[in-house]
Amino acid sequence: MTLREMFGRMAAWFRRDALDREMAAELEAHVDMLARDLEREGMSPADARVAARRQMGNVTSQREQSRDAWGFPRLDAVGQDLRYAIRGLRRSPAFTAAVIATLALGIGANVAMFAVLDRLMFRPLPYVKAPDHTHLVYLQTTFRGTTSTNTVFPYLRYLTLSEAKGVGEFAAQSEWRFAVGSGDASRVRKVAGVSASYWPLFDAPPSLGRYFVASEDDMAAQPVAVISDALWTNDYARGDVVGKSLKVGVVNYTIVGVSPPGFVGATAGLSPDVFVPISTIPLNQSPFSQQSFRADYNWDWVQVLVRRRPDVSIDAASRSLSEAYIRSRALARAINPRVMADSLVHPRAIAGPVKQSAGPDAGLEARVLLWVTGVAAMVLLIACANVASLMLARVIRRRREITVRLALGVSRGRLAGQFITEGLLLAVLGGIAGVILAQWAGVAIRGLLLPEGSPFKLAEDWRTLGVALACATGAALITAIGPAIVATRSDLAATLKAGAREGTHQRSNARLLLLVGQGAMSALLLVGAALFVRSLGNAQNVSLGYDARPVVEAVTDYRGFPMDSATSVAMRRRMLAAAQAIPGVRYAAAFNSRLFGTNTAELAVDGIDSVSALGRFNFQVSTPDYFKVMDIKLVRGRSYTDADGVGAPRVVVVSEAMGKALWPGRDPIGQCIRVGIGYRSDPRQQPCTTVIGIANNTAQQNITDDPRYMYYLPESQFMPGGLRALLLRMDGEGRNEMERVRRALNAAMPGDGFVVVRPLQEVVDDKSRSWRLGATLFVAFGALALLVTVVGLYGMINYNVAQRSHEMGVRVALGARPAELVRLVVGQGMLLMLASVAVGLFGAWVAGRWVQPLLFQQSARDPIIYAAIGVMMVVVAAVASTAPAMRAARADPNSALRSD
Amino acid sequence: MPDETPLLAGTLDLLILKTLTMGVLHGYGIAQNIRRLSKDALRVEEGSLYPALQRMAVKGWVASEQKKTPTGREARYYRITASGRKQLGEEEASFQRSVAATTRVLKAVES
Repeated sequence: MTLREMFGRMAAWFRRDALDREMAAELEAHVDMLARDLEREGMSPADARVAARRQMGNVTSQREQSRDAWGFPRLDAVGQDLRYAIRGLRRSPAFTAAVIATLALGIGANVAMFAVLDRLMFRPLPYVKAPDHTHLVYLQTTFRGTTSTNTVFPYLRYLTLSEAKGVGEFAAQSEWRFAVGSGDASRVRKVAGVSASYWPLFDAPPSLGRYFVASEDDMAAQPVAVISDALWTNDYARGDVVGKSLKVGVVNYTIVGVSPPGFVGATAGLSPDVFVPISTIPLNQSPFSQQSFRADYNWDWVQVLVRRRPDVSIDAASRSLSEAYIRSRALARAINPRVMADSLVHPRAIAGPVKQSAGPDAGLEARVLLWVTGVAAMVLLIACANVASLMLARVIRRRREITVRLALGVSRGRLAGQFITEGLLLAVLGGIAGVILAQWAGVAIRGLLLPEGSPFKLAEDWRTLGVALACATGAALITAIGPAIVATRSDLAATLKAGAREGTHQRSNARLLLLVGQGAMSALLLVGAALFVRSLGNAQNVSLGYDARPVVEAVTDYRGFPMDSATSVAMRRRMLAAAQAIPGVRYAAAFNSRLFGTNTAELAVDGIDSVSALGRFNFQVSTPDYFKVMDIKLVRGRSYTDADGVGAPRVVVVSEAMGKALWPGRDPIGQCIRVGIGYRSDPRQQPCTTVIGIANNTAQQNITDDPRYMYYLPESQFMPGGLRALLLRMDGEGRNEMERVRRALNAAMPGDGFVVVRPLQEVVDDKSRSWRLGATLFVAFGALALLVTVVGLYGMINYNVAQRSHEMGVRVALGARPAELVRLVVGQGMLLMLASVAVGLFGAWVAGRWVQPLLFQQSARDPIIYAAIGVMMVVVAAVASTAPAMRAARADPNSALRSD
Repeated sequence: MPDETPLLAGTLDLLILKTLTMGVLHGYGIAQNIRRLSKDALRVEEGSLYPALQRMAVKGWVASEQKKTPTGREARYYRITASGRKQLGEEEASFQRSVAATTRVLKAVES
């Protein structure tokens, strides 16, 4: 089509009504002239007119053909189909609503899951210059078959890794939460320590000022900081901040620049509020760390980023990094000979994704999430099957209408086009409703999964909207193609001949198959839901050995308040006393190792060559009331008291499991261990620490860890004045008391110091998150799937009963009792469901192999669960077919017979 | 009626355009002219004449206006445009080529 023709068509399209009238007049004129000529040849006027008309042929068809030249006939056809579809849907609002709601649920589930997954794993970080070439470095070791993956390294390791040859440019980052600001305005904020080489990884010119340079990435240099656009807006009203001073932790920084809006660097979740040179981070740590971070490998805190050169493959980069890692281990071994031999742990490096959720150690949560996404896809399939079945039923009902239209000359292609248009219209409406649903439901899922405060506005999110559109289009094709084929294949003559009898029962194998498929998928999802619910239950029922519910954790930050060792001890006594004085606090204790953040020290026990070969032994250092705060029961012996102080003989309480491991068959009480707490201290040169008590086993390293080797040391003997965190046991639930505790403790803090409080149960709940996630989402989607399937089953049986009303009437006339008719219909529904359940359970059994690692103390092929789900679904099927069955039983033989 | 030969496929546009080079004509006139010029051998179906005219109008090969016939009746008169003449040239040439080629084939097989 030339441009000129296109304009011509467009112009004609706008005038098409006038053109049509002119055309009619023109044809009329032609007939007139022809008739006059015929008259002249001797025909009578009347005959001439008839002959002229006959010769003219089908005037309407000519007008229609001409119309094809005006405008764009294909487009016009689409518009017509659309109008036709809208009219049709408006005529059957119940059908329309059911389809849109079903598709909305299916599409909504997928959109919500994609939105979360995309943010967690796929979406490139903003401002990254070369997203495909920018990596986070992961280091892995495998010891005795267990692989551990790490992304946080000592600073010296970063330096050695960045010397890896021919890889690209390296940068370092480290995330912290520090108090920022001074006085009342100070808040705990996310602070990122980054190397000067970090900024060139991004295409993000500063909103104001500049970024820092290599010479400023030095502890000795004047400390400079870059603040986020958000902090600049909220705290400085976007004024001139360059040159202003900002206190971060205990260090006064000078602001030199502002990062652009939405800049998160390469960190997960929210934008850091302040970026500082990474080598100034140790200024906020102990004097010991400040000295050792450039000299030793005892502190893991730096993440390494690399922008791969375009000519270097990922594998080559990983190989080069692995070599650097091995060099770094050799350097570390020169300082600390206890670094394990490479031949034992197979050290290797991976240039992996910047987003750790997509990395080699994504964790249980990410894996559960991938499964749930698969589940969402299944929900959409079920929804599509349901809609396809509804549309098939509709097509079968409209078969006569369709046949008549075919007989009148509508092309089959055009007819199929109409069904697809109808499907698309429904799917787009369903998609819009789905996005709204996803926005609403996604906020809840986001709460479970994404870092707090991540933006989640789907209407502005083109990637997610694209997925919604793809889902809708896919759904439209799946649901419309079946009916389109069935409708256009219908045999004209046979259907027209069948005559008035609409009640003929028309079996539809396609619908049967769809229903069985739906039922099978629902059964599969419900089994998954049950497995995760049981896993979550098992995880929650694990005896932790303590009771965290009424406990509040309070971590103090003295923000560089100057203290010598004597005032430090006095200060911590004062804080403990302040905690004990808070009304509602039953017990309070200071402690060292936070829950699931356990520490180990070198141990020596007489008669055992290598204690570390027996496993990992975690220690806790605390004040005496720790056992009462955590409600850890002593099996035998006693716990330490204030009397076990400095100068008194050293004492320790060990867990039952640890006692059994170290002294099998003997009484641990009275035994001696030597503890090497402290930097590079050799336990063999330490004095004897006597076991005075045996405590219940507690889950402090992990909920599921086994064995639980723990030992407890008194604060005054091992870390006098060195404990920064408090635990408070309250009368009520911990989470209701937070603000009161925080205020009371803050009041007792000196200088700019402050306290961060958190219910300890939160820490415990975090550990069962993956199962909670699986349980919540599987149950939600499983229930959704069951609902959709039951509605589908009900619809199908109801429809069949309506179709068979004539047959039912005949049966009644022949003497069938109502109960028999009910049994017939209900039996049919149950049989259908039984077939689906069989298929679904087989699927679950097959998938069980891959789901097993995600479960906790729960077999993926638990026969009880399979049986329960099967029975439940068949019962549900029976219930769903009851109402149609009752209708069948009321069939009136008179009307059935009379209609013949 | 004398023997009528159906139009060769694709020649309708060519015939209409050629006829219009003789002057401004209405649809009936075009049909009559083709018939007359072909000595009653070719007859344009009314059923395809008007849709073809519409098509050519949209492509800009012909233009039309409403005028009175000598008998005083309102009718639409068509005239060929500059781009219509160009098109006519092309179609004429391609038709001649096609006829010549076809004839060559026929002769070759005859002998």
